[in-house]
Amino acid sequence: MTIPLDPSIAPPGTRNFRDAGGIPADKWHADQNGETLVPTHCCFCGIQCGMYLRVDKGGKVFGVEPRNHDINRMRLCPKGINAYQQVNHPDRLTAPLMRRSRDEEFREVSWDEALDFTVSEINRIQAAYGKDAFGLLGGASLFSEKTYLVGKFARVALKSRHVDYNGRLCMVSAAGANKLAFGIDRAGNPFSDILLTDCLLIAGSNVGECFPVMTQYLWGARDRGASLIVIDPRETAVARTADIHVALKPGTDAAFFNAVLNVIVRENLTDEAFLAAHCTGWEEVRAKVAEYTPERAAEICGIPASQVVQVARTFAGADKAMAWHARGIEHHSQGVENCLTVINLCAATGNIGKPGAGYGTITGQGNGQGGREHGQKSDLLPGGRSILNEEHRRQICEIWGIEESELPTAGTSMMEMVWQMQRREIRGLIGICNNPFVSLPNYAVVKDGYDTAEFHAQFDFFLSETAANAHVVFPVTTWAEDEGVMANAEARVVKHNKAQEPPAGVRTDTWVICELARRLGAGDKFDFPDSRSVFEELRVASAGTVNDYYGITYERLEETGGIAWPCPSTDHPGTPRLFEDGRTYHPDGTIHMQVVDWHLPMDPYDDDHPMSLTTGRTVAHFLSGNQTRRLGGLVEQTPRPWVEVHPSHGFRSGDPVRVVTRRGSAVFPALVTEAIRPDTVFVPYHWPVPTAANALTIDALDPRSKIPEYKVCACRIEAATQIDEVPAPPTAPGHQAYPETQVSRTDPLPPTAPQGRGTADRS
Amino acid sequence: MMGKTIFIDPGRCIGCQACVSACRECDSHRGKSMIHLDYTDPGQSVASLPSVCMHCEDPVAPCAEVCPADAILITADGVVQQADESRCIGCSNCVNACPFGVPKIDLQAKLQMKCNLCYDRTAYGLAPMCATVCPTGALFYGTLEELQAERPGVQVADSFTFGDVVVSTGVAMVVPADKVQWPVPGGLPVVEVNGVDVR
Amino acid sequence: MGVAVSLLLVVAIVLGSHCLRDFDSALLPYAVASVFLAFGVAYRYTMWISAPGARRLFRQGWRSFFSMDNFRKAPTALPKMIATYLGFQKFLGARSHARWAAHQLMFWGCLLAAAITFPLTWGWFTFTSSTGSGPGYEMRIWGIKVIGYDSASILGWLMFHGLDIAAVLVIPGAAYFLWRRMKDRGAMTGQRFAYDLVPLIALIVVSVTGLLLTFSSIFLHGGGYEFLAIMHMVSVVFTLIYIPFGKFFHIVQRPAAVGMQLFKYTTREDEQIFHCRRCQEPIDTGPYVENLRSTMRDLDLGFDQWAEYCPRCKRVLRGSAYLTQVKKGFK
Repeated sequence: MTIPLDPSIAPPGTRNFRDAGGIPADKWHADQNGETLVPTHCCFCGIQCGMYLRVDKGGKVFGVEPRNHDINRMRLCPKGINAYQQVNHPDRLTAPLMRRSRDEEFREVSWDEALDFTVSEINRIQAAYGKDAFGLLGGASLFSEKTYLVGKFARVALKSRHVDYNGRLCMVSAAGANKLAFGIDRAGNPFSDILLTDCLLIAGSNVGECFPVMTQYLWGARDRGASLIVIDPRETAVARTADIHVALKPGTDAAFFNAVLNVIVRENLTDEAFLAAHCTGWEEVRAKVAEYTPERAAEICGIPASQVVQVARTFAGADKAMAWHARGIEHHSQGVENCLTVINLCAATGNIGKPGAGYGTITGQGNGQGGREHGQKSDLLPGGRSILNEEHRRQICEIWGIEESELPTAGTSMMEMVWQMQRREIRGLIGICNNPFVSLPNYAVVKDGYDTAEFHAQFDFFLSETAANAHVVFPVTTWAEDEGVMANAEARVVKHNKAQEPPAGVRTDTWVICELARRLGAGDKFDFPDSRSVFEELRVASAGTVNDYYGITYERLEETGGIAWPCPSTDHPGTPRLFEDGRTYHPDGTIHMQVVDWHLPMDPYDDDHPMSLTTGRTVAHFLSGNQTRRLGGLVEQTPRPWVEVHPSHGFRSGDPVRVVTRRGSAVFPALVTEAIRPDTVFVPYHWPVPTAANALTIDALDPRSKIPEYKVCACRIEAATQIDEVPAPPTAPGHQAYPETQVSRTDPLPPTAPQGRGTADRS
Repeated sequence: MMGKTIFIDPGRCIGCQACVSACRECDSHRGKSMIHLDYTDPGQSVASLPSVCMHCEDPVAPCAEVCPADAILITADGVVQQADESRCIGCSNCVNACPFGVPKIDLQAKLQMKCNLCYDRTAYGLAPMCATVCPTGALFYGTLEELQAERPGVQVADSFTFGDVVVSTGVAMVVPADKVQWPVPGGLPVVEVNGVDVR
Repeated sequence: MGVAVSLLLVVAIVLGSHCLRDFDSALLPYAVASVFLAFGVAYRYTMWISAPGARRLFRQGWRSFFSMDNFRKAPTALPKMIATYLGFQKFLGARSHARWAAHQLMFWGCLLAAAITFPLTWGWFTFTSSTGSGPGYEMRIWGIKVIGYDSASILGWLMFHGLDIAAVLVIPGAAYFLWRRMKDRGAMTGQRFAYDLVPLIALIVVSVTGLLLTFSSIFLHGGGYEFLAIMHMVSVVFTLIYIPFGKFFHIVQRPAAVGMQLFKYTTREDEQIFHCRRCQEPIDTGPYVENLRSTMRDLDLGFDQWAEYCPRCKRVLRGSAYLTQVKKGFK
């Protein structure tokens, strides 16, 4: 060995001076040559933190500055801080990509060629197989204006009933439960109410990683003496310090919450006055929960019975209590029912519609709330109207200026549409703002479905794994290159502002949708030069409905920093807290409590598959990872997926472990930790095959919400010899994923902790 | 002690590394993160600890004392700066002498770098980037009074023991009320009892 | 020490200029300034080297330097280090290519200027013509003829314009740094006028006035020459006297880095690598860690055994001590 002349030894973690994630937006220079701060919000999760984008004299976004918006009060998570690097990222698509068959390579073509080809394929398929043979899949990271356009485009331009969106993988269980119980689909209370509560119950949400900025509300409540209950199979960052952490077995939530209510009834902790005045169905619910004794729940959930009692006493004993939940209880074949058990708990203790007392669901995607309100869901029309309701259909046809006979009926859910593609019932598809190759369960089925489709076009600003399999890819804008609104988890509508012009060759989703509509002969219904004009129509289309946006204007949003709907008139302050008058949005004004019986998850356990696989997110990545797997700082933090296993299985951290389900297997490095149940393993899902958690998950759906059962399936683990390597993110032909951001992607080790590699543990 | 400074509470740290990304955005060392985030309980829990420079006050900045090139300067307000670029010879003395394990070294550039309490921001009245964005308040910037206004009854300690030595610092850590009188353990393991090596 | 060095320099000047025979009295202020410079540098150097950190590394550096054993094992190591480190300053390239280029310009420019100015002002260099006014000139050092040349030749031009070339090198280099100090937020952080900006301004003033002197003598037939000469002299004297006390002292300090480098290199050749007590990752060479611990003991920093742990382990141990002894969770 030759010894270098220069000193080359330094202790670990002190010498990593690689510019992590050097994005050449400005080559990391920090020249003082004038900048403007554009106020906007983060593009990622449903908290919708405010932020400023730093724009240089040349009009390019080059940095981020915290913004004292009252949602986040300057706080940001690592995703939010790195978000701006997407804007001038070298991986951006800047010309439409096209090919006539999947055997060919993509080539860059003009907008006209790509649009004309797409329209000719739509016409060909619809002429041969009927209007419904062409489908549309939207996304909940789009601005509300664009989600409105997705729904309108499907019904008015495509005239197809097959439209759905990726919120189907995210929010629909909570939405279904909210509609059943309250007749309105949104969280009951604003985040700020958390600061007023005495007891906070978090069910199935890794708040510390998926909604980091929300943690300040949790800690704020605890600083004022509130107790924190966390229900999660893993000891997450918020569970670690919680007053009570219930580490139940995945897929047993309904049994647990029924048992908690059982104890509350048994110990006379219910709020009978509230129940009598505001609820229906209590008798039936009470009879059902009587079957769920703490002992029975203890057996089902794999927890001590005393914990059930403890949770019941803490929650019901608190003066004001709140429950928030997320995908952990929603991603189940009884996702809607799980949510209903939580609602029952809140209703039975009178914790609804008061400051510091209430119920909410934490939306995962930036516009998870707004994205489901205005008609891109298979059964909904703008304003949360039902496509099956005659009156609603008539209203919308009037606004859109079409005949009622022309308006298609309800379609099917996202996963069902994939099955329909397998069966050739749907032969063509346009996907906008989604990446089902990573995000849908049971990858083999998804790939087969898409491959069977005769034509597939995709809108995205980076080439996603799904887009890489398409015939046409339209390069569209990032959130910073257009304006529009999103509604966060509180149903607060916030405005995103345009910070820079899109790169040459890139168009807004609005422009592309309107161009397609024009070429399909519906141009008169799609005369929208910009987001503002769409929003004006959206306001009118939602007027008078439950999801009333009529009183919300761009100007008011800029003045106020956000308005919670319903907001029926321009002098209305919005409605941050629901049910304050004791009335729900059902005609009778009561909470409709629903009886829930627990059942086993859909994937049966047997000797070959004795354990539970649960999936979820890590703090450095977002959903299918198409955005975050390209940002150097985030790749550096968490370069690859892992499998979290309990030490009782005899593995050491870093060992290759094969996770096998009935649908497939993948090898991940083990992250051995006592912070997970011995009968459960966890794999984060942001990566594509061969390291995809969703190659293993089951495509079983909740019968009501049609949400897939991501959070539990049967599996086994076995020792393997070599881990599967993470592939580079796809890029346009002739490009490679920006190498500086991908340096640590091939690191074979698991992160130090689920939140990522410690700063000293980076190679 | 203690005007405006950083207060660290590992108890509420969620290990998200927002501070690490934020530090990279800081204009005085863009692209390079100075903050350390360690998972201190691996295999057991997800507990984590963010480490910024503690800005030692007594003894004044051991890193500066051991520096053979007088490269580490301390401002009048007690902020221990990172190495002066023209002086630092890249010897690593500060890296290995710092009892908190804070300084970093760029071996190629022969240059030490470390947290300087975001001098470029604090000089203009802005909070350091890490403490501004910290989603949980595990890193808080302000006066003790401001911290206590946000977190009723919170107590802090600004001294640490390393063996027999007590180091007091400009940056403080949150401690429970019954531990305020005690210096925070610096983590130096007991290696010798009555002359017997017990490592 | 400072006085001794100054006296030594005075003696050297007197002897080198043949008892002041070759001494150009017009350059007296420069010579005096250089004596002050010698005093200041020596004084600062002694002060610097008496601090424990510097003293110990100073000793280790020279010990490695004088070790025959090391020399036999790696005879080329030291010259290579001097060339790459002190000469071509490769490490600056790792900080920024632009800064490296600018610094190289300044470095070689200053070096050239110093190599001409000091001997000239001390009366060590003389240029004489047998004919009295050229074109044939002889360059003498300490009165001994070194080279003869024609003033019209390229060599002659170079000899005559050596300082102008130095100025042309220094000006863009210093201007780049000055521009950067106005613009780069990183550089502006904590920047001090006297420490960071004055040296750059001084270099530029020296170079520009020097160039103007040439300009004046060639194109203006000596117009304004007197004034410029005084300006130039004042700025040079100021710069020389400033050297020991400000940023320029790094010129004197830098060679210490080679000593450090040589010390680490030679001990590493003996495979004396010290590993962290806890994680077994290498920290640095064993003698280096021992040297640091001694330094810490000199300074009464009572936690020198802590240096046997790598920074990561220090933090992790502190974190787990906090978890077990202070508080486990939120409360």
